[in-house]
Amino acid sequence: MTGLVTLDLIKERMKEFGTVEQVQKNRIRITTVPGRLHDAVTTSQAVLLFDRLVTISTLDNGETFELLYHLIGPHRIIISLSINLPRDQPVTPTVSDLLPSAGIYERQIHDLFGIFFEGHPDLKKLMLNEDWPENEHPLRKDWKPDPGVFYGGIKVERT
Amino acid sequence: MAVTDTGISQRLMNWARLKSPWITVYNSGACNACDIEIIACLMPRFDVERFGILVTGSPRHADILIVTGHVSLKQASRLRRVWEQIPGPKYVIAVGACGASGGVFHGLYHMMESVDSVIPIDVYVAGCPPRPDEIINAVVTCLKLLGEDAAHGGKEWRQKKPVSGGVPEEKTPMGVS
Repeated sequence: MTGLVTLDLIKERMKEFGTVEQVQKNRIRITTVPGRLHDAVTTSQAVLLFDRLVTISTLDNGETFELLYHLIGPHRIIISLSINLPRDQPVTPTVSDLLPSAGIYERQIHDLFGIFFEGHPDLKKLMLNEDWPENEHPLRKDWKPDPGVFYGGIKVERT
Repeated sequence: MAVTDTGISQRLMNWARLKSPWITVYNSGACNACDIEIIACLMPRFDVERFGILVTGSPRHADILIVTGHVSLKQASRLRRVWEQIPGPKYVIAVGACGASGGVFHGLYHMMESVDSVIPIDVYVAGCPPRPDEIINAVVTCLKLLGEDAAHGGKEWRQKKPVSGGVPEEKTPMGVS
């Protein structure tokens, strides 16, 4: 069964979702749009046996946020589904209904980058403290800690 | 806090405290290197139980709190709560470079400035991580402090008094009269 999925088959099937390029011997990168991501994950899961999510990595390019969904299967080929989100409205549909393990990564990305995942069942804080202020996302490139803002923890009295 | 009491029961309690301090270890975000060294203290090679030092799981049974690691914002309220649960007289040892100043994490956006901005620290141990014998030395130093504090009736005698009657002087900036 696993022998049937080849690099050529993956390239052929994923061509409809966007540009496909082979970046390494066993790694394929597909640049798609947020609207097609759900279909791309469904296809790669059901047809191409990509059953495991390695991680979701996020890049802040300065203009956009680039999300990379790395998936792997028993054939040991990794595909990276790449989408770009605009900086002023970073919203994308969730994939946690297809890949349950994506839910916790999406919570982390929501914390640190402020990207909103539509349809996520419980998008609460994961890494930052509970009293962290809203609309402060520390891993954005243009973020700087504001000395006037209380970021949680315990207030230190200075004399 | 123990009062300067020369009664037999108070002297007995002070003696018992010095003979068998119970410690509890709290990791407030360390990398586990300090925790491994503390575990090495408990193992047969260093074996702190021969001094009567016993590690307890609950802060309610402990006399000495050992804090390893920097304090992240998320840990600050938890650390304060653990410290409040320890019955007095309580002593705190900050282990490692992170415990003293934040270490390599100093100045990050999700860090408290230091451990002593959350809870008062009695003994600092330097090192990254400190050796087990240094940690044992810190506990023994802490016991000396405990004995002296019992003789003075509290921790107040160690605190530095402000120079001019409690109210800090208004400093005039340079060049302005």
